[in-house]
Amino acid sequence: MSRRRSVLSATVTLFLLAASTAACTIKNSDDPGAADTASTRTGGGSAELADGSKTKVALVPGGAHPYFQPWKTAGAQAKKTLGLGDVTFDETAEWDQQKQNDLLSTLAARGYNAFGIFGVSPTDINSTFADLKSQGFAVASLASCPAGGTNDADFCLSTDVELAAYKAAQAAIKAMGGKGALVHLTGNNVDANTQLRMKGVQKAVKETGGKVTLLQTITDIDKDLQTAQKAVSDLLAAKGSKIQGIVSTAYNPAVAAAEAVRESGSKAKVVAIDDDAKILSSIKNGSVTATVVQNPVGQAEIGTWALALLQTKQCTMTKPGQIIDSGSFVVTKANVADYDSARQARTAELKKQFADTYLSCR
Amino acid sequence: MKTAVTEPDSGTDLPTEGARPAHRLPFWVNQRLGLLVLIVALSILFGSLRPAFFDARLVLFPLLRDISTLTVVALAQMVVLSIGHMNLAVGRMAAFGALFAGFGFDRLHLPLALGLLLCLFAGCVIGALTGWIIARTGVSSFVVTLAMDFALLGLVSLLYSSLTDNAAFTTRPAGLTELRSYSLADICAGPVCGSPAIPQMTQFTVLALVVLGFLYARTRMGRELLLTGANPAAAELSGVPTGRRIILAHGLSGLLAALAGFMAAVGTGTFSASIGDDFMLPSFLGAVLGGTLLTGGVVSVIGALLGTSLVGVIRKGLDLLGVGLESLNIYLGCILLLALSADRVRTVVSYRKVVRST
Repeated sequence: MSRRRSVLSATVTLFLLAASTAACTIKNSDDPGAADTASTRTGGGSAELADGSKTKVALVPGGAHPYFQPWKTAGAQAKKTLGLGDVTFDETAEWDQQKQNDLLSTLAARGYNAFGIFGVSPTDINSTFADLKSQGFAVASLASCPAGGTNDADFCLSTDVELAAYKAAQAAIKAMGGKGALVHLTGNNVDANTQLRMKGVQKAVKETGGKVTLLQTITDIDKDLQTAQKAVSDLLAAKGSKIQGIVSTAYNPAVAAAEAVRESGSKAKVVAIDDDAKILSSIKNGSVTATVVQNPVGQAEIGTWALALLQTKQCTMTKPGQIIDSGSFVVTKANVADYDSARQARTAELKKQFADTYLSCR
Repeated sequence: MKTAVTEPDSGTDLPTEGARPAHRLPFWVNQRLGLLVLIVALSILFGSLRPAFFDARLVLFPLLRDISTLTVVALAQMVVLSIGHMNLAVGRMAAFGALFAGFGFDRLHLPLALGLLLCLFAGCVIGALTGWIIARTGVSSFVVTLAMDFALLGLVSLLYSSLTDNAAFTTRPAGLTELRSYSLADICAGPVCGSPAIPQMTQFTVLALVVLGFLYARTRMGRELLLTGANPAAAELSGVPTGRRIILAHGLSGLLAALAGFMAAVGTGTFSASIGDDFMLPSFLGAVLGGTLLTGGVVSVIGALLGTSLVGVIRKGLDLLGVGLESLNIYLGCILLLALSADRVRTVVSYRKVVRST
C-alpha cells in the first residue's frame, strides 16, 4: 500500500515539475542580458570629479596574488584624494569565476556601485560585466581584458599581454646576442591570456629568422613558487647546457628562474616579469637581465577615478568598451633606479588621455 | 568530523530521511532537522546583521544558483559513497561532460537540450567506465578515480587547447542566456509568477533530488546499492549483482557530475577546462554534513541539499559581513566544526535520555 502511495506521490511530483517547466509561459520582461547603452554626450566638459561621496568602488582581483597588492594602497589613496564614499579591495574570489560572480553580487548588495574587476576567466567575464551593467553599475575590466576582442565593461585598462610578452622575448633575444635556444615559462595553459603571451613570444622568435629557436614552452607553473621552482630545476637539470635564454611571462616562474640560474651558475639570460623586491635585487646583482614591469598602481588609480566619473554620470565613455593599454616597461640594470618615474609619467599621460579622448563629460 | 557524522544514524542501515530511526530517538535528534534549524537560524542572524542578505536579486538568486550546482555535485559524490566508494574525479568528470556540451554547441550546432543530453551521456560513459575498471580489477575506488582524475585533467586541457583558440567554447545556443539569468519571476502560470530569488536552473537540482530520493527510498535497486555499500560480501551472497551495482553507481555519479559541470558552465557563461576545479571538497562536505556515511550503506538525499546549503549560507553571510580572505576560511571552518559538534552533542544527550527512560 505504502509502496503504491509512494509511486503515486513520485509520479505527481514529477508531473508537477514537468508542468512547471513545460506549461508555464516565459514572461518577456526585462532582458538582463542587454547592456545599458546610455547615449554618449560629446563636448569638452570637466573630468574633475564633482562629488564622489555616494560612489563606492570595489576593486576585485581574481584572487590573492602579489601583483594586486599595490591596488590596495592605490585604492585607499584614491578614496582620500577623490573624496569617495568608499573604496574596498576584496581578493576572496579564490581564482574561481563562480566565486567571483558571487562576490561581486554580494558587494553590490553591500552598496558598492562601481567595480574594477580582474576577471578570473577571460572567456566568461563578459557575462559578468553584462550582468552588472544591466543593474546600472559602472564596471571596468582592470589588468586583463575579456577574450575575443569585445569588452562589455565600460572600459578595459590593462597591460597588453601579447605586447608585454613580445617585449620580454625581444629583451631576452637581445641579451642572448641574437642567437640560441630560448625557453618560455608561463601560467595556466587553458587561459586566454596565456595563449596571447605565447603568441607574443613566438612572434619575437619568428622575427629572428631562425637564429633563435623556442626550445620549450612550459605552462601551468604559476600556481605557487614551489611548483615553479621544481619545474625550473628540472628544466636546468635536463637541458641546462642547451639553454641560452629564459623568458618568464608569469610571476612565480620568474622568481624561480632567477634563483635557479644564480644557484646553478647557468649562463642562461633570464628575463622576468613584474617588479617584486626579489626580482629587482636579482637585476641589481645581474642574475636577471631584464624584467618587464606592468602598471598596477596606474590601473587602480586611473580605474577608480574613471569609475567614479562614470558612476556619478558626470561622464560617459565616448566609445563604450574601449580597450586601453596601461603600459609595460622593460627594466634593466641601467634604469632599475628610475623606472618608476617613467611609469608615473605613463599614468599621468593615461589620465590626460581619459580626460581628453576616452571620456565625454558634462 | 568522521565520528560526528557516523554517529547519528549508526546502528541503522536504514537508507534515507524517510526511514529515520525515529522509533528510538526523539524527532529533534534527526540530523537533517538540526541542519535545517541551523540554516534558518544563521539566515536570520545574517539577515538581522545585514538586511541585504534577503535581497532577492543580488544575494539570494546567486546563492541559490550556487547551492543548486553544488548540491548536484554532492549528490554525485553521495551516489558512490552509498556503495562505500569515493569519486575523486568528480570535478574532472564535470569538466569532461561540459567539454562535450561545449563541443556540441560550438561544432555540431546542437540545440540546448541535445547538448545537455550529450553532456550527460559523456559523463555517464566515463563514470561507468571507471566503475567497470573498479569492478573488474578490484582495485580500490580511491586509486582508480584518482588515476581517472589525472587522465581527464590532461585529456580535457589537451582537447580544449587543440579545439579552441581561447581554451573555451564560447558559442551559446538559444536559451542558454535565459537559463542562466532567469528566475521563477520570469515564468508565469497565468497571472501568478514565481519568486525572483529562485533561479530557473534549480529545476535540474530538484529533478535530481526527486529521482535519487525515489531510487534510494523506494526501489529495489536503491536498496541493493546500499547493501553493496554496507557489506559487499553479504550483498554478493544475497544474490545482489554487486559488480553491476558498482558500475551503476559510478555511471550515475558521472552523469550527475556532468550535469553539475553543465550547470556551472551555464552559470559562468562558457564551457572551459577550469569547470569543476573546485568540486571535490564541496562534494564530500555537502554529502557528509548531510549524514551520508563515508563507509557506505547510509545516504541522505535531502541531507546533501541541506549540507551544501549550510556551507553556502555561511559563506555568503561572511561575504556580506565583509570578512577578508584570511579570516573567511577560519570562520567557515569554526562554524562547520561547531555545527558538527552541536549535532554530536545533541545525539549523545538524546541517546542518554532514551537510555535513562528505558
